[in-house]
Formats: sequence, C-alpha cells, structure tokens
Amino acid sequence: MWLPLLGLALGVSLGLLSDIQIPQIYDNYLSIAVLAALDTLFGGIRAYLQQVYDDKVFISGFFFNIALAAALAFLGVHLGVDLYLAAIFAFGVRLFQNIAVIRRIMLVKWTEKGKVSNTNEP
Amino acid sequence: MTKKVRNDYKRRGRSILFSVVFLVLGFILAFSYRTLGINQEANTVKPSHFIQEEDYREMLISQQERNKELTDEIAAKQEEIREYERSFSTGKKNHAGLVEEAKDLRLLLGVIPAVGQGVKVTLKDADYDPVEQNPNDYIVHESHILRIVNELRISGAQGLAINGQRITSNSHIQCTGPVITVDGKTFPAPFVIEAVGDMNVLSSALHLKGGVVDSLIRDNIVVTTEQSKDIRLSALRDES
Repeated sequence: MWLPLLGLALGVSLGLLSDIQIPQIYDNYLSIAVLAALDTLFGGIRAYLQQVYDDKVFISGFFFNIALAAALAFLGVHLGVDLYLAAIFAFGVRLFQNIAVIRRIMLVKWTEKGKVSNTNEP
Repeated sequence: MTKKVRNDYKRRGRSILFSVVFLVLGFILAFSYRTLGINQEANTVKPSHFIQEEDYREMLISQQERNKELTDEIAAKQEEIREYERSFSTGKKNHAGLVEEAKDLRLLLGVIPAVGQGVKVTLKDADYDPVEQNPNDYIVHESHILRIVNELRISGAQGLAINGQRITSNSHIQCTGPVITVDGKTFPAPFVIEAVGDMNVLSSALHLKGGVVDSLIRDNIVVTTEQSKDIRLSALRDES
C-alpha cells in the first residue's frame, strides 16, 4: 500500500531535483505527457469504479498514451502542424469525461449509502 | 494454499506496477512543473529576441536621455561662455586700470620693491643750543616723522622707508628716548625718510608755506630735502 506513495514521492523529488534541461520546443511534449498521464490515471480510477478495471490495460495505457502523445507532438513539430493541440484537446475532453463519470459514480454511491444508513437508522 | 500464494504475488506485482506508474507520474508532474512552471514566468517576457529588443530599446532610450542632458549642458555652458565674452569685452578697458591698482596696493603694502623718482628727507637733531635748557626741544620726535610720513602719503607717495625700513599701512612708529622704533627696529638720528612718487609734487607738498617743513624748522630740527630721479626701496623685510 505504501509502495505507490513511496514511488510518487520518489518521482516528485527526482523531478524537482534533477538537473535535466530540455530545449524549449519540447515543452509541448512535456505538457502532453502530463495530460496523458493524468488522463490515464483518471481513466483507471473510473474503470475501477465501474468494475471493468484491468492491470494490463491500465499500465499499457499509461505508458502508451504518454509515448503516443509525445510522438504525435514530435511529428507535429516536424510537419509544421500543431498536432499537440489535437492531443491536448483529445486528452482534455477525455479527462473531463472521466472526472465527470467518477463524480457521478461517487454521487450515486454516496446517495445509496445515505439511503442505506437512513433505512438502518430506525 | 497455492491460490493464496498466487494472490499474494499478484498483489505484490500490482503494487510494484503501481509504484512504477506513480513514480513516472510524479516525475513527469514535478519535472514539468519545474521546467514549464519556471518557464511560464519567463514566457511572459520570453522570446529571447524580444528581450533583446526590449533591452536595446531601453539602452537607446537611456542614451537619448543622456544625449539630451548633455545637449542641455552644452547649451548652458555656451551661454556661460557668451556671458564671459560679453563681460570680457566690457571689462577689457578696466583690466589695465585694475593691474595698475593692484601694483599700487602692493607698493603700499611694501611686498614689492619700489623704484623711481622721489624725494629724500633727512631730519637731524639740532646742534646743542645753550639757550635751550630742555633737550626735548631740539631732538627729533616721532611726531615729526609721523607728520612727514603722513604728508608724503597724502601727496601720493607710492612707497616710504625710514632709514631703509619700509613703512606700510600696518607700520607703527614709536619714540623711545633719543631713538625711534619702527616696526620693532630701533633707529638713531639722523633719520632719512625716502619716498617714491612724483618728486615735484612731494617736495612742493613738504615745502608748503606753513607746512610740514616750516613747522619742523620752527621746532629747531635740521631738515634737508632732496629730489632724486632714482630712489630704490627694498621690499619689506619680515625678519624681526
């Protein structure tokens, strides 16, 4: 249980302490990678809540999405097309959808719990 | 039993996978925060050529301001110079007069030697006269010398000396018995008073009817005046 949190802390500290400098034109890749990672994370949570969660799908989606987004942006930079906008758009929309689904599921669960506790009370 | 072990493995593998995922996530987040977040600040002012342009523009503006200041300064200085020139053109005539005045004042102070025509007055004690009982009545007193000096000064003497000691506006003459002290130096009779100035004016001033020489003669003093074309008075000697 503590291992993922440890990993998170390690990753954050690594990211903050690392001295790597990336060229300015690759900033877009980084933002897309962030978006993809968040999207996959929330997608995983949603899937878990919908009881369709699968380890393989989540892990492969996480890394594949990041790589794909970066590759898309890379291609876009070299083709002169702002493809990273497409990636940002797609991931953004999915992010919001995932969060909306999560919220609804949570709401449903919460209301059901309330009903149950209400019925239990007397 | 085997199922439980497998489950355990599965759980462990899952948590390891999760930790890797979270590590990557944290790394990406932190890294992007560090680079993009910092860049964001710079981004508002960024593109380097914009910064450069801004810098150059500021430099240009400051240079222009400096130029303006300098131009103003030049204008002010030129105005000053014109002022000087104006005052020169009006003052040129006065300069000769000022130099003359400075020379006269220096002569009066006795800081430079005085050379020129002038008069030489010699005051001698009278010979002993048996009729006179009081010796005070026939020796030269400082009042006599003072009278001569004042008369000469009034008549425009440029330099004065008693027995070679320059008389200036600060000099003091004292009677100390049969001798006279001038500026702390003691001189015996006879007293030679030399004055540089217009010799005719000086001698006629001394010889006015009822003037200084007359009164001195009445006091039984032997007065001899001679005009000289070349009288040299040394500068004031300050050693005391």
